[in-house]
Amino acid sequence: MFNQILFLYCALVIISTGLLAVRFKNPVYSVLSVLVLFFHMAGLYLILNAEFLAAIQVIVYAGAILVLYLFVMFLVNLRQELKVERFIASHRVSAITSAALGICLLAIIPSFKLGAKGAYPVERIQQLTHTKAMGFELYSTFILPFEIAGLILLIAVIGGLVLARKEREEGCNPGTDTCEVKK
Amino acid sequence: MKVQYKPKRNLLETIFQVEILQGMALTLRKLFSPPITRQYPLEKPPMYPGFRGQHALVRDAVTNDSKCIGCMRCATVCPSRCIHIQYHDDENGKRYVDEYSIEALRCVFCAYCVEVCPVGAITMTEVFEYSDYDRDAIYFNKGALLENWDKFIEGTGYDESYVNPFWRPRGVNASTLPAAQRKSVPADWTIEGQFVGTKVRQEQETEDMAPMEESNV
Amino acid sequence: MQILIIILQIAVLLAIVLLHVAYVTYFERKIIGHMQVRMGPMLVGWHGLLQPIADGIKSFFKEDIIPEQADKPLFMAAPVICLVTMLASLAVLPFAKGWALADINIGLLFIFAMSSLASYGVILAGWASNSKYTFLGGLRSMAQVISYEIPMGMSLIGVMMLAGSLNLTEIVEAQGTSLFSIYLFPQIIGFFVFFVAMLAETNRVPFDLPEAETELVSGYITEYSGMRYAMFFMAEYIGMMVMASIGTVCFLGGWNGPFAIPFFPPFWFILKVYGFLFLFIWIRATLPRYRYDQLMALGWKLLIPLSLLNVVLTGLFKILAN
Repeated sequence: MFNQILFLYCALVIISTGLLAVRFKNPVYSVLSVLVLFFHMAGLYLILNAEFLAAIQVIVYAGAILVLYLFVMFLVNLRQELKVERFIASHRVSAITSAALGICLLAIIPSFKLGAKGAYPVERIQQLTHTKAMGFELYSTFILPFEIAGLILLIAVIGGLVLARKEREEGCNPGTDTCEVKK
Repeated sequence: MKVQYKPKRNLLETIFQVEILQGMALTLRKLFSPPITRQYPLEKPPMYPGFRGQHALVRDAVTNDSKCIGCMRCATVCPSRCIHIQYHDDENGKRYVDEYSIEALRCVFCAYCVEVCPVGAITMTEVFEYSDYDRDAIYFNKGALLENWDKFIEGTGYDESYVNPFWRPRGVNASTLPAAQRKSVPADWTIEGQFVGTKVRQEQETEDMAPMEESNV
Repeated sequence: MQILIIILQIAVLLAIVLLHVAYVTYFERKIIGHMQVRMGPMLVGWHGLLQPIADGIKSFFKEDIIPEQADKPLFMAAPVICLVTMLASLAVLPFAKGWALADINIGLLFIFAMSSLASYGVILAGWASNSKYTFLGGLRSMAQVISYEIPMGMSLIGVMMLAGSLNLTEIVEAQGTSLFSIYLFPQIIGFFVFFVAMLAETNRVPFDLPEAETELVSGYITEYSGMRYAMFFMAEYIGMMVMASIGTVCFLGGWNGPFAIPFFPPFWFILKVYGFLFLFIWIRATLPRYRYDQLMALGWKLLIPLSLLNVVLTGLFKILAN
C-alpha cells in the first residue's frame, strides 16, 4: 500500500514536472524541473529495490549532465527570451495529432504483461545487495552490450578530443615553466 | 631569449611537492611562535618622539591665552588649506587674533604649521584617539584647540616647554630658530642627517668611483 | 516510539554538528591567526571563546537583503539546497560501530549524490543574485564540480574494490586486515587524489575559485547577507566535516584505533576528523590560490589519469593476491 502511494506520487510528479519543463519560459526553471523529475525517477528506482541505480541516477544525471546543461544555458544570453516560430501553424492540427498519439499509447497499455520471473527475486537482491547483483549480471550475461556501449562512448570521447584540439600557437605556452620571449 | 621562471625540480621533488611541504613546515613552525599582536584598546602603543597627533594651541601661562601673533605663516604654508585665522589690528598696530580654527578632517598631518610657527604657538600633541560621530566636534576653533592643549598636558605631565624638536625646519641654522625649538636632537636628526638624500648622494658618489659591476639580473 | 527515537537521534546529531561548525570557524580563525603570528579573536569571552556564538547571533538578527533584480524564489532556495544536502549526507556516516543514523548499502554513493547536489545551491545562488561576481563564482563552481567529482569518485573505487562494499560500516570493518588496519598505505595514490579532490569539492584554499575574495568580492555569496549567508557558511563547514569523515572512513580506518576507548566509541573517529580539519586549515594558512587553467589542468591531466592508474593497480594486486 505504502509503495503504491509512493509510486503514484512519484509518477504524478514526473508527469507534471515533465510538462512544466516544456512550459516554463525561463530555461533555468525548465532545467530545475527536470532536476526534480530526475529525483523522482530515483525514487521509482528505490521502490523497485534498485538503490544503486537510484544513486547513479542522481549522481550522473542530476549531478553532472544537468549541471552541464545549466553551464551551456549560462553561456547563452538568458536575458533575451527565445522567440521561436511555431512549428505547426494551426492549433487544431497539433491538438488532433497529440490526441491521436495519446490514444495510441493508451491502446498499447492492455497488451503489457508481467515478464517471467528471472534469477533475481527481491529477496535474493536484498541479500546480495543490488550493486553486486547488477555487477554480476552486467559482467557476465550482458558483457557484449556493455562492451559495445563502452566502445561507443570511447568513440564519442575521442571525437570530442579531436573537435576540441587546437594547434599550439607559437610563443608563450602557459602550461610549461619556460616561455619564449620575442625580442 | 629563454626566461626560466621556476627552478627545475627533479622527479622526486616533483612527486613529493617539496615547495608545498616547505611552506607547510614554515607555517607550522610559526604556529608555535609568540604572536606580535598588540591588543590595542586594552594596551596602548608606545609614543615615539616626532608623533603628529591632535592639534593644539599652547596656552601661555602669563596671558592665559594662545601665543599666536597672527603672522599667517601657518595658514600660508598649509598644503590642505585647513587653517583659518581672523585677526584685527588696533590703532597702535598691535594685532589681536580673534579666531583660529583648524578643519582637522582636511588636515594631512604634515606639521608644516608647527615648523614655521615663530613663537611655538601651534603644536601637535600625542593624542590620536579623538574620533567622533559628529563632524563639528572635529572642527577645532580657538577654544577647542586651547582645550586640547589643557587636556594633553593634564594627561601626560608635559608643560609649556613641550615643543617637539623634530618639527624644526630643515636646513635652517639652529641659532635663528625661536627659543622653544632650539633644543638638542639625536645625532641622526641633525640638520645634515635630516636631509634625505644627502647620505644616498654620498653613497652614490663613492659607488661611481668603483669599477662598474655587471648587473644583469 | 521508534520514530521518536530516530527524531531524537537526528536532533542530537544536528546539535552536535552545528556546535562543531561554530567552533571549527573559531579554531580556524585561531590557528590561522597564530600561523600568521597574530592572535585571532580575543575579546568575546576568554580568548574569544564565545566569538562563534556572537557571530551566530549577529547573522541571525541581521537584515536579510534580497537584491531587487534577483530571481526571488531561487535566491531564497539556494542556501537551503546547500545546507539540506550537506546535512542529509550526515545521516549515513558511521561514527562508531552501529552509530549511524541510516546504515544503507550505498552509503558512499549517497554522499557523492548529495555533494554533487550541493553544487546546485552554489550555481543557483550565482545565477539568481543577478550580479556579475556571483555569476562568475557560480560558473567557476560548476566547472570545478564537474572536473573534480570524477577523480574523487575514481579514487574511492580502489577502496570499494578492496572492501568489496559501498556500505561505510563494512568499509571500516574490511580495513581490519590491512596494514595498520587502515587503507592509507595500500591506497596511497587513491588517498592523494582523494585529498586534492576533497579540497576542490569543498571550495577550500587553494581551490577556492568560486569565492576568490581577491577577484570576485565574495564569489557566489556576494549578494547574500544575514541568515542566508550563515547558511552557506554552515553548508561549507558541514561539507568539510563530511569530506573529512569520508576520508577517515575510507582511508584511516574509521573508529578503529590503537586501543579501544571505553564509554566513548567514536573517540578515534572524531580525532581523525579533527586531524583532517586541522590539515584543511593548515593548508589554507599556507598556500595561495590556483589559477583557473591550473585548476583544470590539475584535475583533468593529473588526477583523473592517476585515479585510473590506481584502479588498475588495485585490480592487479587483488588478482595476484588471490
